[in-house]
Amino acid sequence: MSELPRRIKMLFHRSQVHSELEEEMRFHLELREQANVNAGLSTTTAHREAHLRFGNPSVIRERSLTAWGWSWLENLAQDVAYGYRSMLRTPVLTTVALLSLGLGIGANTAIFSFMDTIMLRSLPVKDPSQLVLLGTGRDSGISDDPVFTDLYSYPFFRQMQQRNSIFSSTAAVFSITNRVYGFLDHRDTAEPMYVKLVSGSYFPTLRVEPQLGRTLNEADDSSEGDHPVVVLSNAYWKRALSSDPNVLNRTLKLGDTTYTIVGVAPPDFFGTTVGEAPDMWAPLSMIKSVPPRFGGYKDNFSESLNIIGRLKPGVSLPQASSEVNLRYRQILRSFPDFKANQENLDKLSRAVVALTPVANGLSGLRRQFSQPLRVLMAVVALVLLIACANIANLLLARSTARARELAVRQALGATRIRIIRQLLTESLILALAGGAIGIAFAAAAIRLLLHMVSDSFSGSAHLDVSLNLRLLAFSLAVTIFTAVLFGTLPALRTTRPDLVDSLRDGRGSSTGTARNPLAKALVVSQVALSLVLLIGAILFLRSLVNLNNVNPGFNKDGVLRLQIDSASTGFPADDPRMTALYQQIEQRVTAVPGVKSASFSSFVFDEGSWNGYILVPGMPVNHDLDVKHNIIGSGYFDTMQIPLVAGRHFGPQDTATSQHVAIISEHLARTLFPPGVSPIGRSYYIGSDNPGNLVEVIGIAKDVKFHSLQEDIVDIDYVPYAQHPTGYGDFEVRYTGDFNNTVTAVQQTIHSIHRTLPIMNVMTLEKQISRSIGEQRLVAQLSAFFGMLAVFLSAIGIYGLMSYTVSRRTNEIGIRMALGAARSNVRWMVMREIFLLIGAGLAFGVPSTLIAHRAVASMLFGMEGANPGVLALATVVLLAVAVLAGYLPARRASKVNPMDALRCE
Amino acid sequence: MNRDEIPPGTLYLLILKTLARHGELHGYEIADSIQRTSDDILQVEEGSLYPALQRMLIKGWVTAEWGVTAGNRRARYYRLTAGGRKQLAAELSQFQRVFGAIARVVQIA
Repeated sequence: MSELPRRIKMLFHRSQVHSELEEEMRFHLELREQANVNAGLSTTTAHREAHLRFGNPSVIRERSLTAWGWSWLENLAQDVAYGYRSMLRTPVLTTVALLSLGLGIGANTAIFSFMDTIMLRSLPVKDPSQLVLLGTGRDSGISDDPVFTDLYSYPFFRQMQQRNSIFSSTAAVFSITNRVYGFLDHRDTAEPMYVKLVSGSYFPTLRVEPQLGRTLNEADDSSEGDHPVVVLSNAYWKRALSSDPNVLNRTLKLGDTTYTIVGVAPPDFFGTTVGEAPDMWAPLSMIKSVPPRFGGYKDNFSESLNIIGRLKPGVSLPQASSEVNLRYRQILRSFPDFKANQENLDKLSRAVVALTPVANGLSGLRRQFSQPLRVLMAVVALVLLIACANIANLLLARSTARARELAVRQALGATRIRIIRQLLTESLILALAGGAIGIAFAAAAIRLLLHMVSDSFSGSAHLDVSLNLRLLAFSLAVTIFTAVLFGTLPALRTTRPDLVDSLRDGRGSSTGTARNPLAKALVVSQVALSLVLLIGAILFLRSLVNLNNVNPGFNKDGVLRLQIDSASTGFPADDPRMTALYQQIEQRVTAVPGVKSASFSSFVFDEGSWNGYILVPGMPVNHDLDVKHNIIGSGYFDTMQIPLVAGRHFGPQDTATSQHVAIISEHLARTLFPPGVSPIGRSYYIGSDNPGNLVEVIGIAKDVKFHSLQEDIVDIDYVPYAQHPTGYGDFEVRYTGDFNNTVTAVQQTIHSIHRTLPIMNVMTLEKQISRSIGEQRLVAQLSAFFGMLAVFLSAIGIYGLMSYTVSRRTNEIGIRMALGAARSNVRWMVMREIFLLIGAGLAFGVPSTLIAHRAVASMLFGMEGANPGVLALATVVLLAVAVLAGYLPARRASKVNPMDALRCE
Repeated sequence: MNRDEIPPGTLYLLILKTLARHGELHGYEIADSIQRTSDDILQVEEGSLYPALQRMLIKGWVTAEWGVTAGNRRARYYRLTAGGRKQLAAELSQFQRVFGAIARVVQIA
């Protein structure tokens, strides 16, 4: 049918069609008139008769044009233009409405997009819901605990893989991502690469197909050290190899082994840990070759793997759980080196392997951020509610104020439907414009949040956060619904057939606010919600301040810290040349001008731990004692300014061959030794009572924070790296003067000793500590922002309602003043209403606050939750802002000139 | 003289037939022609021609072009298209079928 092109063509020539029709009809009438005159009628009669025969020209024109089927579009265009103009007439209110809508929608979408990425999205693998993790996934690292239920050894994994009947396939992933300085092709500069060691069954279990070449398979993982192959991630292939199609012929060197690139993983596959993005996957068989050469491939009790199983169809979680736990005990007891002492047997009987569904992946990021994100989600949802209440109020006020205009239009012949449609259009314009702003906000907010999150996550946060369209649609729908509901409700009310009433009503004689309980209820709920948010913000801020005031036990100011990649030297960790290199670096850096002292250590703060139990000969074994071991250089205590309570520092006399020594923390000293017994000179075993593990206490250091500022005092011991060679190194430098200059000087010094030693993670100690409370800062900052936004929006709400009320009551106020009411009386009359609104809001707000804050109590530090002081502070802030917002209209009311007021309709 | 409303639905038929007979007419001529041909019995509310003509333009049964009348006035002339002719045939046969049926019923009575 060729009708549509003609109709569309008409759309572009509308004015021509109009004028042609007009001309045609006029011509017709003239001819008829002429014919009538010719027939002998008088001019007037001829004219009348012609019109009678023709019919009503406007109606005919309407009918002719509607035939083209575009009237809906014309009406819409009219409505849009009209709505646009009426929005421009109240620019401030419109701006506020749009901004609050935009912020509401944007913030919700952004936060939810994060929640989705971190907490909800499924792994990009086949049937992710069949995947379960052995253990809770909470731990990572290497454990030598004989009975451990979160990480597993490689031999254990093999046994479990062969002996279970519930998994169709079982995979293992090394729980640490190796950070390697490797060489691509045969280049001579090392580049950082993230390598994930996985079992040969990893890709088959996940059912991930390569986009190029092949993935890893069982053969790659069949014998230790013989299979130098890697599969690249799509991102790395693109970034480092420019998506080279011939990548399969290329190689890379990790440590001293050259690896063949055998495949490229599909584009969306990032592994099984959300927040990580390995550059490549290598088989676990290469664990001893990939720096930093962890090893433990054949060690029954080197527990470092996460095990993921794919449940056979029809196997339930409880079924799987009982079998896994049965096998767990069988396998551990079958290991010949399992020490079946009473203790281990007790532990084994108590041990429970939890099965955790991992359809959406493992994630430390999720553990750290899921609660903050939930709280923030609640916060922004409340803000959206407040924004909606504002829109509702705005539209309500506007359309009520327009009741008379609408009545007039109706009286002039506009149909009820037409008026409602007009108001609907205006509301929709507002909502859609707000939505558009919201999308822009969301995109910006996601970038900001991503920055804040990766800044506050000690690991590396590689997240692909995209705008969540579902939630965007949802929040848009909520706002559109609000706009439509509150924009047209009054329309429905004011377009009732009793026009006369509405016309009369417009005369401003209404009894004021008693007539809009809905608007008042909206303001009251805004106040209540704002109170909740405000108190939340105060609590989180106070909590952050408390955290900032925590004394970590060392002096965090004036310390530069960095990490070196000792593995890239090519020396094994226990090579004496390694120790010599460390010492040389310490000495030379200490000699740099402005540097006071420098020392290596295996940990500083919030970097994980090497921990375990210790044994003091002649003392009852305390297996609950979990001691963090820190391997340090002799200048560590000076650099960190941790005071020694007793004994001496490590010195040059403590060598690999001399008596092994340790410095213990004050708390550990108290825990281990009864009062009155000096720990100095006493010995203990780090771990089992193997003579090589025996150390002698030579000093006692003040307690320090180790994992986090929130932690209770932990037990720490320190041993010198000269006696405990280690493969990876933190390096701390205490300096005075400029940070950047010091960094340059230190880096130059290190490179003058070892030209290619990679240096990474350079930052101040202070920054590292502040990063450890990043999630608290994130929550505090965002909740403060949204708390203020909420208060601001409520103030706008109060201001809007009161201005509207005052303008509606101008007449009444005029009469009151004419009858002798003082200005202060009038002002009080308005203010009283504000106080009532706020009072009601607080009455609802306080109990809701108490309920809501029980949910976040665990996120607070150094306080119990909402105390009367916080409540009072929030109330005062809210009152102050609300009174300010209400004062302007009140003042305007009191400035009313009685004569003007009475004259004004 | 008695003037009757045209039966509903036949306006298109009348216009189509009139145009078919005269070739090219403007609106007034169409109305006039229908009236005269029907010996002043069929009375078109003249204005209603125009919505009908617009619809016929949309459907593509007629085309319109501006021309000049004998009296040297600008007027829009309508002319049947091939589609219009086909439509005329269809409407005509339908009309005859219905009219014939009605006529038979009325004659028997």
